Amino acid sequence: MRGIRARLTITLVALVAMTAALLGIGSYAFVDNRLHDQVRADAERQAKFDLSDLVPNLGLPANPTAADVTARRVLQTFHERGIDVFVDVGSGEPLVLDVYRGTFSAVPSELKALVASGHLGYAWTRLAGIPVLVVGGRASPGGPAFYFIHDETGLEQTLDVLRIALGGGALALILVALVAARLVARGVLAPVEAAGRAAERIELGDLSARVPITSRDEFGSWAERFNRMAAALEETIQRLERSQAQNRRFVSDVAHELRTPLTALVAEASILREHLDDLPAGARRTGELLVDDVGRLRTLVDELMELSRFDAEAEKVIAQPTDLVRLIRAVVAARLPGADVELTVPDTEVSIETDPRRLERILGNLLDNAREHAPAAPVAVALDTADEAITIRVDDRGPGVDPDRLDRIFERFYKADPSRHGGSSGLGLAIAAEHAALLGGELRASNRPGGGLRIELRLPVTGSLRDGDPAAMGGDDREAQSIPPQEPPR
Amino acid sequence: MDATILLVEDDPSIREVTAIGLRGAGFTVDTASDGQAALDRFRAAPFDLVLLDIMLPRLDGLEVARAIRKTSTVPIVMLTARADTIDVVVGLEAGADDYVKKPFEVPELVARVRAALRRAGRQPDDADRLRLGPLTIDVNGRTVDRDGREIPLTRTEFDLLTELARHAGQVLSRDVLLDRIWGYDYLGDSRLVDVAIQRLRAKVESDAAAPELIVTVRGAGYKAAR
Repeated sequence: MRGIRARLTITLVALVAMTAALLGIGSYAFVDNRLHDQVRADAERQAKFDLSDLVPNLGLPANPTAADVTARRVLQTFHERGIDVFVDVGSGEPLVLDVYRGTFSAVPSELKALVASGHLGYAWTRLAGIPVLVVGGRASPGGPAFYFIHDETGLEQTLDVLRIALGGGALALILVALVAARLVARGVLAPVEAAGRAAERIELGDLSARVPITSRDEFGSWAERFNRMAAALEETIQRLERSQAQNRRFVSDVAHELRTPLTALVAEASILREHLDDLPAGARRTGELLVDDVGRLRTLVDELMELSRFDAEAEKVIAQPTDLVRLIRAVVAARLPGADVELTVPDTEVSIETDPRRLERILGNLLDNAREHAPAAPVAVALDTADEAITIRVDDRGPGVDPDRLDRIFERFYKADPSRHGGSSGLGLAIAAEHAALLGGELRASNRPGGGLRIELRLPVTGSLRDGDPAAMGGDDREAQSIPPQEPPR
Repeated sequence: MDATILLVEDDPSIREVTAIGLRGAGFTVDTASDGQAALDRFRAAPFDLVLLDIMLPRLDGLEVARAIRKTSTVPIVMLTARADTIDVVVGLEAGADDYVKKPFEVPELVARVRAALRRAGRQPDDADRLRLGPLTIDVNGRTVDRDGREIPLTRTEFDLLTELARHAGQVLSRDVLLDRIWGYDYLGDSRLVDVAIQRLRAKVESDAAAPELIVTVRGAGYKAAR
C-alpha cells in the first residue's frame, strides 16, 4: 500500500520535474540567445555607423597619437553618447575612461587578433566586474582600433530575473505535482484500503464486512467479486453454525430427555442392587449386569450434559486459592485407591488461583484414562512448578497412542483403540480438555520414551480466567461471583 | 422410623420406584403427580416431610414450596434435574431445606430424607436466647429480631444463623456446617453452604456486599463476628 503510494508519487513528481526542467532550460536558452543576438546586432550596427560616419568626423589625423585622441576629446564624446571605448593608437596602453582603465588586457585576444586583421569583431566578457559586450574595429586600415564597450548589466539582470522566475515556477509545479500525486494516490488507493479493512474484519470474524463499490471500473468489478465471495463465505459459515447449533441442541435435548428415564433407572437399579441376593441364580448375574450398565449409562448422560453445558457456554469459573499438592493427593487417593501410584510432588504447599472443582474433574478424568489403558500398571503423577506455568503430568504404562492420532484423543467419542470396549464413554478427555481451556490452560498428549502415554496439564500461574474473574479475587466471597444478586424475600 | 412423606413427582416410573424405595426404608408415603394435587393433599392431611420435584405440571415445585411455607415449617427436599447453583438458590429461596440431584440412588435419597427429619425433630438447646450484633435469636421460639423487628428466616437459615452465633468468633468450615445443619456425614456439595450463607446475609446484614455479622474466612469457612 505504502509502496504503491510512494511509487505513484515519485513517478508523477519526476515526470513533472523533467518537463519543467526541459521547458525552463529550453525557454531560458531561447530567450538568452535572442536577447544576446539582438544586443550584439544592435551593437555591431552601431559600431559600423560609428566607425564609418562618426570617427572620420572627429577630426583625428590618419595616424593619431594618444595626445591627439585626448585633445579631440574622443573618449568623452563617446561617453556622452552612452558608450565607453578603448582607443588603441598602436603604441602604449589603449586610452579609456576611469572605470575601464587598465582592463584592456581582459579583452579576449581573439577579438584583438580579429581587429588587427581589419575585421569587425565582438566579445562578451567582464571588465572591472561589469558584464559588457565589446565590439572592436578600425575606421580605416592602419588607423587606430576602436573597442566599443556596451554595459550589459541590464541584460544580465533581466536574464537573472528570468532564471529566478523559471526556477520558482518549476519548483511550484513540482509542489503542485507532489500534492496532486498524493491526492491521486489516495483516490486510487482508497478502495484498496477499504478492501483491506473489509478483509481484516472478515479475518477477525465479522463475516458481514463488505467492500464499498464506488466505481464502475476494474476495481469496482473486483470489489463486486470480493463481496460475492464474502457473501458465499458468510452463508456457508452460517449454515455450518446453524447445523452445529442444531447438533448441539440435539445432543442437549437428547441428554435432557434421557434424564427422566435415567432417573427412574438409577433409582430402580439402586433398589435392585440391594435385592440381588434374593434373585434366583439365573437372574442374578443379569441383574448385576443391569445395575452396572445403568451406572455406565448414567456416566454417559452426565458427560453429555456436561459437554452440552460447555457448548452453551453456560460455564462459570469459580476461582479460589487452591493447594495443588493437597488436591492431587486427594484426587489420586479417591480415584486410584490402593493402586501403584508414583507421586512426585513438592513437600511444600503449591497454591494458585484456580477452580478446584474443575481441576479435580480434569485430574480425575486423566487418572481414569490412565487406569483404563493400563489396568493394574503403575501410574506416575508429577507436579512441576519449574517455569512460568504449572504442569501436572500423568504417565501411564499402557500401549501409548499412534503419534498421528495423539491430537485426536481429546476429540469427543474418540477411542484410540476402537476394539476396546471399556467402561469409558470416550468423552472423559474431551471434557478434561474443555475444563482445562476454561482454566486458561491446556492439555497435551505425548508418548513416553519408555512406552505409555503422557498427558500434561499446563496451567497459568497468573492472569485472568475467563468470565472476567480476575485470578486475584475469588476465594473470599466466591459465592458472590456465581450467584446473581437477588432481592431478599419478604 | 414412622414418618409420613408426601412425594410429588410427575413421572410415573420415578414416582413409583421412589415410593417403593421410601416404603422399603420404613416410611409411609403418599404421592401426588402435579403441583395442585400436592397442595390439595398437603392441606388434607399432616406430613412430616415433602419431597418435591421442581418441574411439575399445573403448579411448579417452587410455587408449591412457597404455598406450603405460608402455613408450615415442614421440611421440604427438592428433587432437581439441574443442580446448577441458580436452581439451588431459587429452591432455597422458595423455602426448600435441601435438594437432591437427579438421577439419585434410593439409599442416598433416604439418607437425605432422614437427615432432614432429624433436623426438624431436633429439640432446641437450653440456651434460649443468643445475641449477634443487633440480632436477637430466640432459639425456642425460632425467631430472629433486629432492633425489635422480626426477620423471617427459613428453617435452614435459622439453623445456620444459630449454629454460627453459638460459636461466635470461631471459624466453621463448609464441611462442618454441611454436617451440622444438613446432616451430611459424607462430603456433600459445599455450594449449598455458600448459597445459604448468601441468602442469610441478604436478610440479616445491613449491607450484604460488606458482611459484618457473618464473615468469610478465606480458605477456611465462615464465622460469626463476636
